[in-house]
Amino acid sequence: MGEGLVFGPGALVVVGLYLVSMIGVGWVGRQKRQSDSMADFYLAGRSLGLAVLFLTLYATQYSGNTLFGYTGKTYRIGFEWTVSVVFMFSVIVGYMLFAPRLVALARKEGFITPGDYISYRFASPALTLLSTVLMIYALCNYTLAQLKAMGAAVEGITDGAVPGAYGIIALAVIMVVYETLGGMRSVAWTDVIQGVVLLLGFGILAFLIPIKLGGGLENIVAKLGAMDPPKVQAPSLEGANKWISYVFLLGCGAAIYPQAIQRLYSSRSVKVLKRSLAIMAFMPLTTTLVALICGLTAAVVLPDLSKVESDQVLARLCALVMSESVLGYWLVVVVFAAALAALMSTADSALLSISSMLTKDIYLPYFHPDATEAELTKFGKISSWGIVIVLVLVAIGTEATLVRLLELKFEVLIQVGPCFFLGLYWPRLTAGTALLGMLCGLAVALGLTLAGHPLVWGFHAGVLGLFVNAAVCAVGTLLKPAPTD
Amino acid sequence: MDDSQKYPGLLGEPRKVGYVWLVYLLLYAVAIPWYWPEGYVGSLVLGFPLWVAVTLGTVFLLASWTAWVIHRYWQQAGEDD
Repeated sequence: MGEGLVFGPGALVVVGLYLVSMIGVGWVGRQKRQSDSMADFYLAGRSLGLAVLFLTLYATQYSGNTLFGYTGKTYRIGFEWTVSVVFMFSVIVGYMLFAPRLVALARKEGFITPGDYISYRFASPALTLLSTVLMIYALCNYTLAQLKAMGAAVEGITDGAVPGAYGIIALAVIMVVYETLGGMRSVAWTDVIQGVVLLLGFGILAFLIPIKLGGGLENIVAKLGAMDPPKVQAPSLEGANKWISYVFLLGCGAAIYPQAIQRLYSSRSVKVLKRSLAIMAFMPLTTTLVALICGLTAAVVLPDLSKVESDQVLARLCALVMSESVLGYWLVVVVFAAALAALMSTADSALLSISSMLTKDIYLPYFHPDATEAELTKFGKISSWGIVIVLVLVAIGTEATLVRLLELKFEVLIQVGPCFFLGLYWPRLTAGTALLGMLCGLAVALGLTLAGHPLVWGFHAGVLGLFVNAAVCAVGTLLKPAPTD
Repeated sequence: MDDSQKYPGLLGEPRKVGYVWLVYLLLYAVAIPWYWPEGYVGSLVLGFPLWVAVTLGTVFLLASWTAWVIHRYWQQAGEDD
């Protein structure tokens, strides 16, 4: 097989209804709005309960990269990508290092964006602006990765018959429509549907791919060990360094994703948030691990694909399953819906977050300080359309593999980390020192990357930048005289 | 201003409990496969090479530990719905 899979009319209707239902949910979210305030639009009025909060955290954290990038990466490097299970878990440890204080503070001060916290804590427009710009850059890159994966999904599922650009445009429009209709309420409610579909999709993949195509995990590992031994072997010491680096990169980076922080702000209560995070701690074992197993299966069933082709192995595996039976066909329809869910739920959350930061942290202080809440919300909606148009154009016009895009955004984003991880616990850390640390961290991260050294002894350039950043914060603070009281 | 004024209702947080992080350190030291000989595979456990099975089992322990730490040490006053 390998001729690709073409959905019949029935499957197209199901997928179409699924996508239209997203807009319907967005409309319901709009009807349920309590006011035209930013807190209502961007944080759903801080009203998210356990089921909605957990599923929106889940659907947002597990993105198109999990399905496509991680299966592709496993295809290329084998079991060494088990590190993805470890680093996705580490995001929750990252939350535990700062969320209790940040959430208490956010509820007291009414924060909307991460920039609100930085502004409150450091009272430095320069630090707030730089942090916001870095976070927007990282999120644009993240959204871009999702858009490109949408194109890859459509192209893979049709074996190139439908150009990726059409898929990107259609899905981006649907996403921005429901996002601008009801803001966080619409995004979180669509995330509920998308999260359930995603869980269902991973459940199906866990059984379908390794058993149906690979003859069981033991068989897959035995074949892979014979075909390409390094893919089943324990990593070298430098490889282990890379694992440690990934733990820092994701544990610090993904935990301070603006859309993740805004979900911490949006919870109805701390109790709800605690329960959601406790459940999230187990999700890598039901999600990332499944992507790993699918990637291993592909390495056995579809050997010798190029690097770019390997980011489409999941779609190719689905094509194989789909051709074998009617049941397989419909199961793949669910998996395809799950893939769309993973991409859209992550991209819509990032988009909403970018819009909130542009509005609250840049437009309000620098362009329209007297704006009313309704005016700001309106600007936020317009800016969402603008961002999507720009990102779609970039996504259609560039080429890169998905995982590299993911790494590059974290290189930049984690330089904001010390503002949270140190700023909440170290009253003596000043804005000037934090700003200097951030600039030094950025210089190291970008300098090494641009010089062609994205990894040094297995450590990512961004992580080395973070170490320098934290060291500058520590030394700069300790060199200053302690407060006399 | 003390912490209880700055962070209203926050009665306890995991970051301040030393042994919590010691346990994390130990579990991470097991989860990250730095101690296996290079090129090691080992016998298969539930289909996974031994070194992978150890990592996955440890991630389950890390997740369980985290759920307990969140429940036990993140304390917020009046957090009932």
